[in-house]
Amino acid sequence: MPLRMSTTPEAAVPSQMTARSAGAPTHPTTWETASGLARAPGRPVKVIHPPAFSIATIFTGLRTLVHYSDLLYTLSLFRLNVRYKQSALGWTWAALQPLALMGIYTIIFTRVTTVATGGVPYPVFVFSALLPWIFFSGTISSAVTGLVLYPNLLTKMYFPREIIPLSYLVASLADFCIASLILGGLMVYYKVSLTWHLLYAIPIVVIMAAFAAAIALFFSAVQVRFRDVGLAMPFLLQVWMFTVPVVYSLQSIPLRFRGLYLLDPVAGLIEGFRQVVIHGTAPDFQNLALSGSVAFMSLPLAYAFFKSSEATMADLI
Amino acid sequence: MIDLKFDGVSKKYSIRANGDSPKRWYGRRSAKRPGQMWALRNVSFQVNEGEALGIVGHNGAGKTTILKILSGITTPTAGEITIRGRLVALVEVSSGFHPELTGAENIYLHGAMLGMRRSEIRRKLDSIIEFSGVGRYIEVPVKRYSSGMFVRLGFAIAAHLDPDILLLDEVLAVGDAAFQAKCLERIAELRKDGRTMVFISHDLAAVYRLCDRALLLSHGCILSDGPPRQVIDEYQQMTFAGQDASVDESDTRTPAKSTGISFFAPESPEGIRTGYPLVARLAYRALENIPDAVFRVSIYWPSGYLCAQLTTESLSGGLQLEPGTGVIEFQCPTLPVVPGLYRIDLAIESKGLEIDVQQRCATLRVDPGKIAYGDFLIENTWKITQTIAKPQL
Repeated sequence: MPLRMSTTPEAAVPSQMTARSAGAPTHPTTWETASGLARAPGRPVKVIHPPAFSIATIFTGLRTLVHYSDLLYTLSLFRLNVRYKQSALGWTWAALQPLALMGIYTIIFTRVTTVATGGVPYPVFVFSALLPWIFFSGTISSAVTGLVLYPNLLTKMYFPREIIPLSYLVASLADFCIASLILGGLMVYYKVSLTWHLLYAIPIVVIMAAFAAAIALFFSAVQVRFRDVGLAMPFLLQVWMFTVPVVYSLQSIPLRFRGLYLLDPVAGLIEGFRQVVIHGTAPDFQNLALSGSVAFMSLPLAYAFFKSSEATMADLI
Repeated sequence: MIDLKFDGVSKKYSIRANGDSPKRWYGRRSAKRPGQMWALRNVSFQVNEGEALGIVGHNGAGKTTILKILSGITTPTAGEITIRGRLVALVEVSSGFHPELTGAENIYLHGAMLGMRRSEIRRKLDSIIEFSGVGRYIEVPVKRYSSGMFVRLGFAIAAHLDPDILLLDEVLAVGDAAFQAKCLERIAELRKDGRTMVFISHDLAAVYRLCDRALLLSHGCILSDGPPRQVIDEYQQMTFAGQDASVDESDTRTPAKSTGISFFAPESPEGIRTGYPLVARLAYRALENIPDAVFRVSIYWPSGYLCAQLTTESLSGGLQLEPGTGVIEFQCPTLPVVPGLYRIDLAIESKGLEIDVQQRCATLRVDPGKIAYGDFLIENTWKITQTIAKPQL
């Protein structure tokens, strides 16, 4: 065991550093890490193997992720900071985007054509679905481009790479919360009453986040190798939005196609969210169970895929 | 205890037709098959606790690949690596910075990327800021920083980590002299504290000074493994053997050319030593009559400054060279420079104009001889005069 620095005779001669730190009494030694005592006696042993696709990578990956949990927190926080830095409107942007879309769709679907909303004013109807949709699509589009945005991070440093897509998920979740306040305001304005069924929104958002994470992990890993993903993603998300009940309601889909339609977990989740928030009814539990099982089965698979591609990301980017 | 173990490690890079980035890591080398190349082939070595290992080799020998595998940036294609303890890589210390964030915010972000907890960073924040010397600019976005501030802040963060194993890759090559001194000071401190170190560098003098052991890598294989002196010698032989072959004897553009330099220590059987005589023989070839010629053998410090020069320059004018070859022998009664590795430049001038310059064409290794501290040995004699105090009655 190496001797502690300050106990060695050399330490008696003030080096340049200790001399400087003498001016700052709150930091008795500039290098507090330099003390042998700070080190744990049992050191962790890490073994590096060639990469392989296996379910075991999920567990080792999660252990490392827990170790780096502070990075996920810091990075998510800074995502939010950076996103609105040097912009005059700042945080208002989180609310402006869904509001603008709401305006456009309201004009189209009340003036040009009409859709059945179940008696709810169209602006609230569409906003309540835009909210979870923007959370979902925003996570995916930013995560997919985000991983390759700073190649230096991937080629010069190591940290669990899934933290990058996951930090975009957390940031989108924060935007979702801001926009929720606007939804609350709209509901008050249009006199839509709240019920306790609103609490079902929490599991719905959790399932949605899990599915968004799965899609984001999978496509961001593919994006490192094939940039086509990033190019196709805006278009795909545009199409996807019209295949889920955002601007129209699930009731507009003929009954015989509905089973097929609800195979997409996002469709069930968005309809469920709208139901519990503005219709004040319980969600369709069968749909919720289906969406939940698809989301929670795809997440570990996507994570295992991501971890196995992580091994060569620095070589391919 | 073994801190680090490479066991039959190989790394293959596949080179895609449209992929440009992997090329950075292996340079222009012939691969067995287009489309793939082996950056490491069956590499095995161990580093013991508290040992400092230097890795030397040409560009593309696989040095950086070892570092990337160790730090987890990429994974091996075959083999197994065991690491005991917290490993920290000091590689391009500021690459994790976000330009829009302030210095303080970047300390949190970069520190977290290096695996520090937020509480740990909060505790060390003042110390990091003080070390970086960024001072009141800490609340300014780093995109407004000078490149020097950028690097200093990056190093300040890395220096506050608590590694069991430290990886260094040419960090000493960046920053100004004061910064380099700070780096070295910190590294020496960690070494004294018994930390294990892996040092990858082209600066042979630094490897010689800092390491206990060295590895020579060439084309992904370990050529030798032993004391730094021996490994560096081997590396230099490899380098200069290659350079000698490239000397173009049929070169007719330069009227005179230095063709070789060799150093001898006639009175010391083992190498060139401080304080002992030195003989330098410079061989040249002239194609025509060269009037007023002056030869110079410049000896440079590893840092690049001129240390001393052997020259034929004199007030009475230069030499007259006839076509043909010749040897200039410089006799030095005592070599006053301290032990270390020096780089040698050769130059020939005619009428005050340089007609041939060979930069860094050789290395002079000086071993410890007579005791000398500082930069030079000052030949001296000494005597002592003592006045004995009378014992008091």
